[in-house]
Amino acid sequence: MGLAARRVAGGEMTGGQEGRGGSPVRNPSSGSLSPRRFRSPSPPTLSETVKQTLHSATLDNGIVLLGEDLPGLESVAVAFHTPAGAVHDGPGRCGLATLSGEMMLRGAGNRTSRDIVEVLEGSGIQWAQSVSTSHSSFAGAMVARQLPIALPIYADILRRPRLPDDELENARQMVLQNLAGTEDDPAHRAMSALRQLHYPHPLGMPSEGISADVEAIGIDDVRSFVRAHVVPRGMIIAVAGRIDWDDFVTRVEALFGDWGTDDSSAVAIGSRGERIRFVPHDSQQTHIALAWSVPPYRHDESYEASAALSVLGGGSSSRLFSEVRERRGLCYSVSAGYHTLRDYASAICYSGTSAARAQETLDVMLAEIDRLPGTIEEAELDRVKSRAKSALVMQQESSAARAAWIARQWYHLGTVRSLAEELARYDRLNVASVEGWLAANRPAGLTIVSLGKEPLEVPREVSA
Amino acid sequence: MKFLHERLPNGLDVIAEVTDTALSTSIGFFVKTGARDETDAEWGVSHFLEHMVFKGTNDLSADEINRRFDWMGASANAFTSEEDTAYHAAVLPEQQIEATALLARMMRPALREDDFDTEKLVILEEIRMYDDQPPFGADDRCRATFFGHHPLARSVLGTVDSIERMPVEVMRDYHRRRYSPANIVLCATGAVDFEALVNSAREWCGDWEPLAIPPRRAPLDLRASHAPTLELITRPTSTLEYAVKMSRGPAGDDDDRFAAKLLAAILGDTSGSRLYWAMVDTGRAEQASCHHQDFLDAGMFATQLSSDPEDARELLEMIDEVYRAAAEQGLDRREFEQNRNKLAGRWVLLGERPRRRLFDVGPEWAHSGDYRSVADDLRTIENLSLEDVHRVLARWPLHGTGSTVLAGPLPLDPSLETASEAQ
Repeated sequence: MGLAARRVAGGEMTGGQEGRGGSPVRNPSSGSLSPRRFRSPSPPTLSETVKQTLHSATLDNGIVLLGEDLPGLESVAVAFHTPAGAVHDGPGRCGLATLSGEMMLRGAGNRTSRDIVEVLEGSGIQWAQSVSTSHSSFAGAMVARQLPIALPIYADILRRPRLPDDELENARQMVLQNLAGTEDDPAHRAMSALRQLHYPHPLGMPSEGISADVEAIGIDDVRSFVRAHVVPRGMIIAVAGRIDWDDFVTRVEALFGDWGTDDSSAVAIGSRGERIRFVPHDSQQTHIALAWSVPPYRHDESYEASAALSVLGGGSSSRLFSEVRERRGLCYSVSAGYHTLRDYASAICYSGTSAARAQETLDVMLAEIDRLPGTIEEAELDRVKSRAKSALVMQQESSAARAAWIARQWYHLGTVRSLAEELARYDRLNVASVEGWLAANRPAGLTIVSLGKEPLEVPREVSA
Repeated sequence: MKFLHERLPNGLDVIAEVTDTALSTSIGFFVKTGARDETDAEWGVSHFLEHMVFKGTNDLSADEINRRFDWMGASANAFTSEEDTAYHAAVLPEQQIEATALLARMMRPALREDDFDTEKLVILEEIRMYDDQPPFGADDRCRATFFGHHPLARSVLGTVDSIERMPVEVMRDYHRRRYSPANIVLCATGAVDFEALVNSAREWCGDWEPLAIPPRRAPLDLRASHAPTLELITRPTSTLEYAVKMSRGPAGDDDDRFAAKLLAAILGDTSGSRLYWAMVDTGRAEQASCHHQDFLDAGMFATQLSSDPEDARELLEMIDEVYRAAAEQGLDRREFEQNRNKLAGRWVLLGERPRRRLFDVGPEWAHSGDYRSVADDLRTIENLSLEDVHRVLARWPLHGTGSTVLAGPLPLDPSLETASEAQ
């Protein structure tokens, strides 16, 4: 899951279960034809009076509790975000956070690995565990009445993991199998290389690990990692859905309130990698991934940045989709999006196309990026705002999505913005503000990764 | 939740599941056509046509369609499968009429030749993209062998060859025959204004010409699916070996299909199942899973494995042993109850999302003309007994049968290839 905020759709390189893949829908051709029987479109009138009840509390040991009532739902989703992210893996131990997260599920308190899974699943609880750059997270979604069953299990996993020596090899093999699988996924490899080069070390390191490092991890590494980083200070527990907030706080306080208060240590930030890399891979398609730096989510200007990126490659009427896929038929997937960590963020563009057309695809992508400043039209920006606002409102239909969202907001901002405020921020965006930001922050210093049979030619000036 | 239905004089069904608390409205046109309805000359046309529908009508350009969806803040897309082609959009309720009108107009596309030629390039890229990804064609090959001469043997995307050869006339003819109103369901879920939905359908679809639709059902070729087969696709540079195995299971009109899904969860769900504890938890396999899939007139259990190449054969035998042990020794009540609760929990969570419900309600009506509420499904799941699951195991044994295809670095070994016997 991860805590990287993504406000504007289209940043994902792959498109979920939908058949046409990539970003939403697509298509170009002739200019505007006057519609015959169609009503003239009116701007979406968003009901900005969405009822919303947000809660927050902080325990004495620093754990932050966040909640949102979603009264239309039967379900509750809860997520525990510990500050044990991959950023703490350490030199020669890339994958330690992931292996530790896996080990925490292999027995906790009085429960064996099987007990944990059997009780969770036997109670109809959908559970998930994941590691991002900043957090190691454990989550569950369930019918509301099951929450009291779930909470003590998560308390055991977080506070009393057994970290048994005799499970280490199995857990390590599981992490290695997953890594071997990512080797066969060319788009994933291209994006992973891009993040590694673009972000200062170790912020772009792959949370899934590096095989040689994972091979070297010992049980003591795991135990000290968990002791040092799975700690209350910096931890966020978010709950959303059909909740009873007071009851939730009482239960969490009883389970976590007496947990000691060690701090997870800070990480020294190093330098970034080279600007341009070619990764040889035996595939029919060449995968192209580009990045440049933009303001992180907590900066007010991030709204201008992500809106500009959405105009570039966020929807089916975006510049990249229209030009690269629809008009030229160069590829199946092409998109641009906004990716943020707490202190760094980037614009990320992606496309995959057959080797013979990859150079043209890259050239057109670069031309569209270059053409963006000074050319944004009001209608384009209106569409971007409308998509973002509509997505925000629809998010209220999913307890898991909201639990993730309020936790992200807290991590990035130290507060949770109301939906009304978030919508108002989109309303305030206008062509002048987006163009003003773009003029002062023209895309420059691009990091460019290509993966395929042959390297591509990259003009020197774009990565200067 | 309430269900509403109305049929237009030309045969178009308009249905809705209305949820008062929903914040969004999802709208979909479900066309009862897919890869199984194609001839050799049409191979891949259903999916290619799905792309072309976004290329515009005689009075609406492709750019205009894209801009309107984005303008509405719609989350719009489409998909094609063996049996269905669906076009859908999720919008805020105030956009229902606009979104329905736009989707409805798209159902009568212009199918211009220059658009067709450009989009052909995109389809070819999509085929190449999947060809570069796991399981490297093992799924399509397995389906072809398992279904033999049955129409479900055909892959959805088609081949580079079938797409390159296809002239636009083939698509125009296919569209005229298959997109007849009686072959389409307009379905909406969430915050739906049903009266407005029916009015939109009358306005935009009322003049669609009704055509007779030939029947789709074809008997499953039993011979092809009973003999166990093994085929290899060699991909020297792949890291893992990928295996897909298909064996028979209950069809979409069989009452045992729910028990079959529960059985598949017990044996091979992606967590907490017998295969999970035997192979994934121990790090021997990246993935070892089983699921049940049903079609109009056929059903199957699909097993997927990915692992180190040198372990793949042994793990396939282990999977067969897991299946054999389940059949011979039966399942225990505890794992049965755990998985029944898990399935029920999953259903409740999926059921409360109207954007997701569209993909249950629309296809169910398109396939069977029935509506099943979340409560109906939950009641069925909660009433399942251990005996039901044991009966499925006896009727459709998973061990010692089925078609298997391996794709990865394992070298071709002609002595082990048995597929030719079944063809």
